Amino acid sequence: MIIEGGIVYDPINGVLGEEMDVSIEDGRVVEESRDGEKIDARGMLVLPGGVDAHAHIAGAKVNTGRIMRPEDGRRGTEARTKLLRPSTGYTVPNCYAIGYRYARLGYTCAFEAATPILEARHTHEELEEIPIVDKGALTLFGNNWEVLECVRDGDLEKLAAFVAWGLRASRGYGVKVVNPGGGEAWGFGGNVKGIDDPVPNFGVTAREIIRYLMRANEALRLPHSVHLHTNNLGKPGNYETTLATLRAVEDIASSRDRQVLHVTHMQFSAYGGTGWRDFESKAPEISDYFNKHDQFTMDMGQLIFGSATTMTADAPLEYGNARLLKAKWSNHDIELEESSGVVPLVYGRKNPINAIQWAIGLELALLTEDPWQMIMTTDHPNGGPFVNYPEVVALLMSRSKREKELATLHDLASKRSSLPSIEREMDWNEVAIVTRAGPARILGLAEKGHLGVGADGDVSIYDVNPEKVDPSKEHEEVKAALAGAKYTIKGGEVVVRDGEVVAVPQGRTYWVDASVPEDAEARVKADLVEKFAKYYSIQMSNYMVQDAYVTRPRVIRAGVI
Amino acid sequence: MKKVIIKPLREFWVPVEAERISPDIFAPLSIEEIRRLEVWEGNRKVTLSDLFMISGDDEPAPPGDNEIVLSGDFSRVKRIGEKMTSGTIVIKGDVGMHAGNGMSGGEILIDGNAGDWLGREMQGGKITVSGDAGEYVGAGYRGESCGMRGGEILVEGSAGDYLGEHLCGGTITVGGDAGDFPGIGNRGGAIVIGGNAHLPGAEMASGTITVRGRARVLPSFQRLETVEIDGIRFDKFLGDLVDDGKGELFAASVEDGGR
Repeated sequence: MIIEGGIVYDPINGVLGEEMDVSIEDGRVVEESRDGEKIDARGMLVLPGGVDAHAHIAGAKVNTGRIMRPEDGRRGTEARTKLLRPSTGYTVPNCYAIGYRYARLGYTCAFEAATPILEARHTHEELEEIPIVDKGALTLFGNNWEVLECVRDGDLEKLAAFVAWGLRASRGYGVKVVNPGGGEAWGFGGNVKGIDDPVPNFGVTAREIIRYLMRANEALRLPHSVHLHTNNLGKPGNYETTLATLRAVEDIASSRDRQVLHVTHMQFSAYGGTGWRDFESKAPEISDYFNKHDQFTMDMGQLIFGSATTMTADAPLEYGNARLLKAKWSNHDIELEESSGVVPLVYGRKNPINAIQWAIGLELALLTEDPWQMIMTTDHPNGGPFVNYPEVVALLMSRSKREKELATLHDLASKRSSLPSIEREMDWNEVAIVTRAGPARILGLAEKGHLGVGADGDVSIYDVNPEKVDPSKEHEEVKAALAGAKYTIKGGEVVVRDGEVVAVPQGRTYWVDASVPEDAEARVKADLVEKFAKYYSIQMSNYMVQDAYVTRPRVIRAGVI
Repeated sequence: MKKVIIKPLREFWVPVEAERISPDIFAPLSIEEIRRLEVWEGNRKVTLSDLFMISGDDEPAPPGDNEIVLSGDFSRVKRIGEKMTSGTIVIKGDVGMHAGNGMSGGEILIDGNAGDWLGREMQGGKITVSGDAGEYVGAGYRGESCGMRGGEILVEGSAGDYLGEHLCGGTITVGGDAGDFPGIGNRGGAIVIGGNAHLPGAEMASGTITVRGRARVLPSFQRLETVEIDGIRFDKFLGDLVDDGKGELFAASVEDGGR
């Protein structure tokens, strides 16, 4: 296949809006293709396929959201066609809709952001049913008893061996840490108040858990860094916790050419104020810190007005949400590993808190100078559903759109944030970074996010001419073009044409197989045998994700030997 | 006034999804066009004329000037008058589930019994039932926080369980008894039950429920005072206190064991 004459942005390979051809053969980008298939992309924007590094798209809590929200299911229903299965839902779409909708946006890869090992079979059962996109899942470690014990005992080698085992057991891709220590404390109705608050019965602190997991992550040379959801997330004044967390790990070095820590959905961790009354943005403080520390990355967690379904392993947070909003609430105890919660809510333009939250996400993205440190996300479906990504990109590219939106919001959004004064408008190169190249690099996906020879043949083509359209003024046109790709090409196959899904191939599932010394692995196994005998509700043999659950794996090797 | 008369050609064994039977949809159509409207019978797509004998006025008329008369057994015909905004539907016989779903205006007169989910998420207009109604009269869609928001439902007979579930506005009047949990989760509106009711107002946040017969009252309701309305003495309660509710419950007689 040759994609002819498009205006290509490929930041990883230094291509900045050049008119050029892209050739694909056998699913990969090549110098020259001979098969003769041609796609005319003249006057159109050509980007590598989009990569979503953080979305809740599969597994137990997503399904809990679906079960709790039949009223969400009826929004976004689309009947089946000869090719497509039926779609349902807006904030918690069914598996098929997730694949179709990503493809229509030009996205070809999406990572599920939080899977406890115990629920990993369920996660993979759903990932298998999500069509088209490549995917992976991050595995939760921040409240796991084995982790807490290794940290308590100062046994880094055993911790690394457990992380490797846990990734294998869950067929997971990376180390996710959610409110470290807080999830365990929630088992007793408590939480940790900061990074130095001891976890009941273990005596370790979040500071120690994060540091040890980061050191284990780097010892194992995993492709992705630790992926952190901070303590005190969602609470006024939490920016201090966020900054304290980052300062506590400044001395840790990355073992690979990537960040040493990714802080996720930063919008929820950049709050000032002593309570909801004096709630304000501290995004400038957070971005300022990131501008001085290039070893850290973040994603926006942008808020989208309207319906959302919050779902997280941060169970005490969800309890707070449910009490505050008198909303439906689901709470889940995941044995020795985590707790979790789900709460549906509606973000309102005239709600002062929501309006400020909306501004904070944009401030973070625009005040953080290096786009390689930033990923565009909505923390789907916590900040809002991923189908709104075109809206977020349009906001990043147009100050006049931001001003127009601000005018419809509660006026505290302007008074308690710096957004009105921010002039920056992202260009197409920066957009290509925060939606493709950046997330691929941050995840450590060498064949994603670019169009160099050997890259996956994943390309999105949008019917907008970057040489003619001024996104600053013509933001509506930009948004419309991004919402329905002219073409989405996945592995060299056209899957979307004119915004409609025309082919439904099955994507691959990334997971990381990290090797560790045998004696360390044996010590972990001995611990686990005891834990399964004493505490788990199931046998270890029924716990591991077997190969049958991941029919099209893409295994990335890592480890210490 | 444009009048269209519809009679079933046969008995239905599987439900018919007949949301197309509505004054808003019929108004601009000729009888022949109405006959060709598509509906689902079970998993099969059919036309109205496959199932019904249809006669009446051919000329288009504004929706408000439309009367549809359904004569016969429509107890397995669902969603009649869904989302109608004006006009009149008269049903001489029983009607199936979801009649008057989300209607915002006009009138449905049922000379017979109504099925479940009568007037679900209704926003305006009026539904009158001469017989009994099923469960979930004026209720919400599963999972939504609001059911009926406006309009009026009058059931001369009795109603089933979950009458006015998540009611947010409008009034529901039942001549006879109501089943379990009338007005559960209410956030507004008014329910009047002529007969008896079991555990009214559970989890209600606001709104009013009046039981002119005997009620089994939840222990999470606080008895405030005795009041007289239309010559009947009622015990007035505040609740549901498990949800910090400010709803008002009036019961003419309180069943022993409840309090």
